[in-house]
Amino acid sequence: MSQYQILNREKHRRLRVRTGSGAALGDAVMYVMTYPMEFRDIQGSYPILFTKDPNTGGFLPVALLGLEAGQNLFLQGERWDATYVPALVQRQPFLIAKSGGSDDRPPVVSLDLDHPRVSEDEGEALFDGEGEPSQFLNSKIALLEKLHRGLQHGGGFIDTLLQHQLLVQVVLDLAFADGSKKTLQGFYCIAEERLHELKGDVLESLNRAGYLQPIFMAVASLSRVRDLIERRNRLRA
Amino acid sequence: MGGGSAGWLSAAVIAAEHRVESQSLPPIEVLLVESPDVPTIGVGEGTWPSMRETLRRIGLSETDFIRECSASFKQGTFFRNWQTGNGDTYCHPFTIPLGYAETNLAPHWLALTDAPSFADAVTPQTALFAGCLAPKQITTPEYAFVVNYGYHLDAGKFAELLRRHCTGQLGVKHIKANVSRVNAAENGDIRSVTTDRAGEIAGDLFIDCTGTSSLLLGEHFGIPFQSRQSHLLNDTALAAQVPYAAADQAIQSCTHSTAQTAGWIWDIGLPARRGIGHVYSSAHISEDAATAQLLAYIREVAGEKAAGSVVPRKIRFQPGHRRDFWHRNCVAIGMSAGFIEPLEASALVMIELAAGMIAEQLPPTRDVMDVVARRFNRKFSRHWNQIIEFLKLHYVLSARNDSPYWQDNRAAASIPEELSERLSLWSYRSPWHQDAGAVDDLFPTASYQYILYGMGFKTVPQQTFSMRQQQRQASELFRRNAERAAQLQRAMPGNRELLDKVREFGFQKL
Repeated sequence: MSQYQILNREKHRRLRVRTGSGAALGDAVMYVMTYPMEFRDIQGSYPILFTKDPNTGGFLPVALLGLEAGQNLFLQGERWDATYVPALVQRQPFLIAKSGGSDDRPPVVSLDLDHPRVSEDEGEALFDGEGEPSQFLNSKIALLEKLHRGLQHGGGFIDTLLQHQLLVQVVLDLAFADGSKKTLQGFYCIAEERLHELKGDVLESLNRAGYLQPIFMAVASLSRVRDLIERRNRLRA
Repeated sequence: MGGGSAGWLSAAVIAAEHRVESQSLPPIEVLLVESPDVPTIGVGEGTWPSMRETLRRIGLSETDFIRECSASFKQGTFFRNWQTGNGDTYCHPFTIPLGYAETNLAPHWLALTDAPSFADAVTPQTALFAGCLAPKQITTPEYAFVVNYGYHLDAGKFAELLRRHCTGQLGVKHIKANVSRVNAAENGDIRSVTTDRAGEIAGDLFIDCTGTSSLLLGEHFGIPFQSRQSHLLNDTALAAQVPYAAADQAIQSCTHSTAQTAGWIWDIGLPARRGIGHVYSSAHISEDAATAQLLAYIREVAGEKAAGSVVPRKIRFQPGHRRDFWHRNCVAIGMSAGFIEPLEASALVMIELAAGMIAEQLPPTRDVMDVVARRFNRKFSRHWNQIIEFLKLHYVLSARNDSPYWQDNRAAASIPEELSERLSLWSYRSPWHQDAGAVDDLFPTASYQYILYGMGFKTVPQQTFSMRQQQRQASELFRRNAERAAQLQRAMPGNRELLDKVREFGFQKL
């Protein structure tokens, strides 16, 4: 499936990365992980929900892209029809991760050699003729660093939501123009009633941690579900 | 009075029910007096699904419980050699048959010519047993399930966790002292107990969790013990802790119960070890021969090395119970109330039920205590009778003829009358809703179906109009069950894999 290797100047010198969008490039996914610092950009186009990592059971914030497995309603052929593409999509096929062992070592950039974006003859080069990182690679590294900071900051976000019981299971009952219906399960959203009951000191602590704004962003983003339904209606029209 | 699973679980259930969030109301005070000199018998390593609700009710997280009690998931019991002794097997899963509320699948299953076993045909749960698969996933919230489950646990660690939870979270006071005297009040109640190092302790209600010695109910009040050995012959157990052959060996999804010539062997998989024991009738087999059968079993499932290293612990018991369980202001819970062999693991659930009833019905005044006591006695007499009947069912259906033990177990005089009556009726009608005695029956009618048809009992059903009407519905249920079984086999993780994840990540609360 995936074969991650730490990026290496010698080993990966000839590799290229296909840019753009499309199902063939691995973009046909129902949702993609996001993080609180990205919520402002995400909520303009996508509903922000929470779901459980199947491997750990831990909650993850995700941007909803489709209404069934393998469906991305923002993909129109080779075009991604939204003003903002989530960072976890933009970063493909790269990954930033702790280089095993101690926590103080800097994170390293890896890439998934089995990802459909990785190529030897097509796309942007990773290294230039002298073996120096290309402008393309540098821009991806900058993105990964931003992502890393965002994920670190977001680490305490879920714990804080759970501590204040601010997550609640949501079952989305969807009705489409063609009369068909669908129930979306396995997702959670901000518990608005609980949110409105929060006392001043808790609100202040959330605000100081930088979590209050993302919480309200996530609440507001749910109005984007309507857009997904419209996109699904147009798909079948 | 008394610790162990009975004492601490009772204290936890009662204290949790009566805890108050603010200090404005005076809470009831729960004191647990435990002798520092009497070791507890770790009774019951298997629970029923009811334990999930009990743990939730006392405010324990399932993650903490699993981590600290070396617990694993139990989805039922797998029986071997009970019917003929020639390798026959069947399952009693915790999930009732599909569509059970509206459709009785048993007569439809009986009419099939080429059917899978009864349990396999009516519930997808047993499909998980062969692969040692879990009843839920890491994404399933705590105490929720995909298929119904209880636990296997380390009883010693369980009592210890409950003690910490009781004293740390639920405000239970723990007094380590020996009771030297029981002091009567003028009206005949217990006024107080005198201890060797904590003085005199007075109380309104005394809960006797002192084990088989039954110090308050039996010794002080003289409530007689009623032996039930005429129905259930087993009176001795040899219990052993057995290491796994390899650290990553699969953990079984259910208790394994393998019949022997004069009893049966239990085999319970915990994460770090197995609990294996032989429970038998001392009148039918010598201790040496029983030990030899136990070691032969251990050799077969865990290897020569494991069999060579185990030191079985011998436990003698008299199967039976007190005539009454609540007398004046004293109520017995656990082995002080009674004990029947561990088949179907009813020890812990009886503690849960007794503690639950006391917690809910705690008499606010002495006047109504006698009313509660009478109701309690009626209910628990019924429970003991049902346990005896249901356990007896396992023996009377056996066709084993290889020892006087099995013949004696089928002797007409040893079979409770109610059970004989039911069996004669069940020759013509499968047990279903009409066979339920009361809403709080310990064993649901579905459990009787699993034992009867697992053991090859033949019901020749009377074809009725509604049965013919439900034919199509039944076929649909059988089909859906097979589909669900295949789906679960693909989706569920192994027990060990899930337990490792619980250790690492824990279950979410929602």
